[in-house]
Amino acid sequence: MIDKKISVRQAGILIIICLMANKILLLPSLMFQQIKSDSIFAIILMFSLDLIFLPIFLKLKSLYPNEKLIEIISKKMSKIVAKIIYIIFAIYFIFKVLLVFSITYVYFKQQIYQDEFLWLIIISCLPVINHALTVGLRAFSRTIELLFSIVIVGFILCLAFSLFTEMSMPILFVSDIKSFFSSIYKHAFSFGDYLFLFVIIDKIDIKKGDSKKLYEYSIFGMILVILLFIIFFSKYQVTAFMHNNALADILVFSIQFNAIGRLDIIAMLTIMSITLFQLEIFAYGFCDSFINLFPKLNKFVVILFFDLLFALLYYFSIGKYEILVNTSHYWSPMLGIFVNYVFPIICLIIIALSRRRKNERKY
Amino acid sequence: MKENIKKIFHNPMLIVFILILIFFTPLSIYSPGENRNRGIVTAIGIDKNNQEIEISLLTFIPTANQTYKVKSSIISGKGTTVAEAVYDAQLQMGRKIGLAHAKTTIVNEELLSEDVSMYVDYLSRVASLPENTVFISTNNTAKELLETSQSLENELGLKLEQLVGFNANNIYVTDTSLEAFYKGYFSEVKSSIIGSISLEESDKGSNQEETNVDDSKENSSSNKKISNKGEAVLLKDGKMVAKLNIDQLNGINLLNTRALNQIITIDNVKLNDDLYTLNYRIKNKNIFSNTNFENDIPIYTIQLKLGMELVEINGLHDAIKMNTEFSEINEEIQNKLDIEIKKQFTNALNVLKENKTDVLGINEKFFRENRIMYLKYIENLENIDDFLDKVNFKLNVIIQPD
Repeated sequence: MIDKKISVRQAGILIIICLMANKILLLPSLMFQQIKSDSIFAIILMFSLDLIFLPIFLKLKSLYPNEKLIEIISKKMSKIVAKIIYIIFAIYFIFKVLLVFSITYVYFKQQIYQDEFLWLIIISCLPVINHALTVGLRAFSRTIELLFSIVIVGFILCLAFSLFTEMSMPILFVSDIKSFFSSIYKHAFSFGDYLFLFVIIDKIDIKKGDSKKLYEYSIFGMILVILLFIIFFSKYQVTAFMHNNALADILVFSIQFNAIGRLDIIAMLTIMSITLFQLEIFAYGFCDSFINLFPKLNKFVVILFFDLLFALLYYFSIGKYEILVNTSHYWSPMLGIFVNYVFPIICLIIIALSRRRKNERKY
Repeated sequence: MKENIKKIFHNPMLIVFILILIFFTPLSIYSPGENRNRGIVTAIGIDKNNQEIEISLLTFIPTANQTYKVKSSIISGKGTTVAEAVYDAQLQMGRKIGLAHAKTTIVNEELLSEDVSMYVDYLSRVASLPENTVFISTNNTAKELLETSQSLENELGLKLEQLVGFNANNIYVTDTSLEAFYKGYFSEVKSSIIGSISLEESDKGSNQEETNVDDSKENSSSNKKISNKGEAVLLKDGKMVAKLNIDQLNGINLLNTRALNQIITIDNVKLNDDLYTLNYRIKNKNIFSNTNFENDIPIYTIQLKLGMELVEINGLHDAIKMNTEFSEINEEIQNKLDIEIKKQFTNALNVLKENKTDVLGINEKFFRENRIMYLKYIENLENIDDFLDKVNFKLNVIIQPD
């Protein structure tokens, strides 16, 4: 996929959108079932680990400013290792797409349609995703950049309106260490969002001094998600496990606002936009990984393959919400662990090897 | 021109837009209106008669008209479970049920003799029902209450949830919603409060010309009228354990900063050498509370700062002048108010202790503030529910004229 480069601001915005993936609807409720309000610490810990990705990425970028990740890995390790890593990336991104899609699908089914409307939403989403994939990273990054302020205002409004209802500090330190880390392990797949930056490493134009911006955007996105967790647990306390759509539920279940109409439309629009952006990003991640595995393939063939795979995984129920959520505890942690911990180690090895070679050349 | 058209069609988004138009336009033209398929439910009533569950749905089917009035009717369904009863009601209505606009859920007191959560499970599991739905009980059947509320709405434009909403803001310790019920139900102490609205026989003959607008709304179309006495039902493990009257609720609400406007009456107050009955209204409230353990005894200290307003004087009205001297809260009034408030609080507390229902969140407060001591203390208790009985309450009331 040949794309023009994106700016650091655009990359930062993409990261904020990725950081929200799977975390603003279902995750707070799922984590509460296991470790109650201590999920706040879990998410802070996971974000801190995620943040370690950033200096690794920037170092790699400074060493190889214009090279693709697959080329870097092939050069420093081997082609087979690079291919294996990219196969895992493709699997990771397609399941990210499926999970984001299925969680939002269930949310809309609860909020608007009571009946199945799967084909309707697929017909609505796929053309937008396909269009984004066709026009390329720079074009859809610009679209996201253009609508970003509106989305963030929607997100902040949801948080702000929820403050008007009764809340009390969540009770912390109630889970034991074992269940705390077991919960982190189970939900590892929902993190590791910086991977996307590595996939598009050659397509980001980072000027001197720009790297600080990436940290600023990342921390802003993380603060928003952490605030959502805190407000959600403050509002619902023991019943948090019953509310599967955190961002929408903090707004909806307030008697005061229910009296003046359905303010949940703000949450609906925000969630819809964020989901579409996330689908575009992760679908791009999948297609880019796939095209690097099979460089001779035409871009449109890859997009068509993505559509078919997406539809097939749904048809065989693999992409369905219940199956994804129920089985994700078994297979997804493996993918999550690879993306969160193994891949950064691989990158660190590459950086170390490159440095050694540089030093060797000096002497 | 040709070039321009070609240019436009080179834009893939336009093609997508046209495709969506082609696909959806015929669908939208030919698909029937949602009101043909769906009946909108605004209130749900659940009753149980001899192991059979009857569900009553206050439904309105949107139809075009030139007034603001909507026509609503009650549709019932029966079955051995709530799900079956709802399915039966759908058959009666010939439409699917839309619960997204259901604002009220009513259960009759018979259902509260068992764990009521199993009857509302269907409603909370069906995610389209908002959980901020008002959740109340009634001494009669839920169906009757819905029927009576229907005429209340038609005649006075007053909705049941508005009536309950007033109670929730002024009388009940928490919102009386499904969410509030579940918050109590899933807490460690498994205690919750839900509102209760009664139905009484209407004495139409004697007061046909009277219009009662305070707390009971007469229903002209049936023999019953809605009587909002501000009562509530105390639930333990989802079962009703006591019915609280407004005085007991006021006692509980002394610890609730949101609940204002309670009236405190004191008798035999000596003013200008005469005895009067004074009514004070709680206008504002500040609560400072603290928990600690002294000699292994849990102590709950509360400082209650109340801004009181004199609202009524009963006595020899010849001697009462509209001046400010009566508004002054002297030491005698302070003492009497102090005794009255403490009496109300103790009475309410006794009911909670008897029924082992900690709806005040005493356990939670101890857990938050003295976690180690609290956990150690309850380890020695047979049941966590016994804790409330062991707590020593110290209430200090500071009364200020508003």
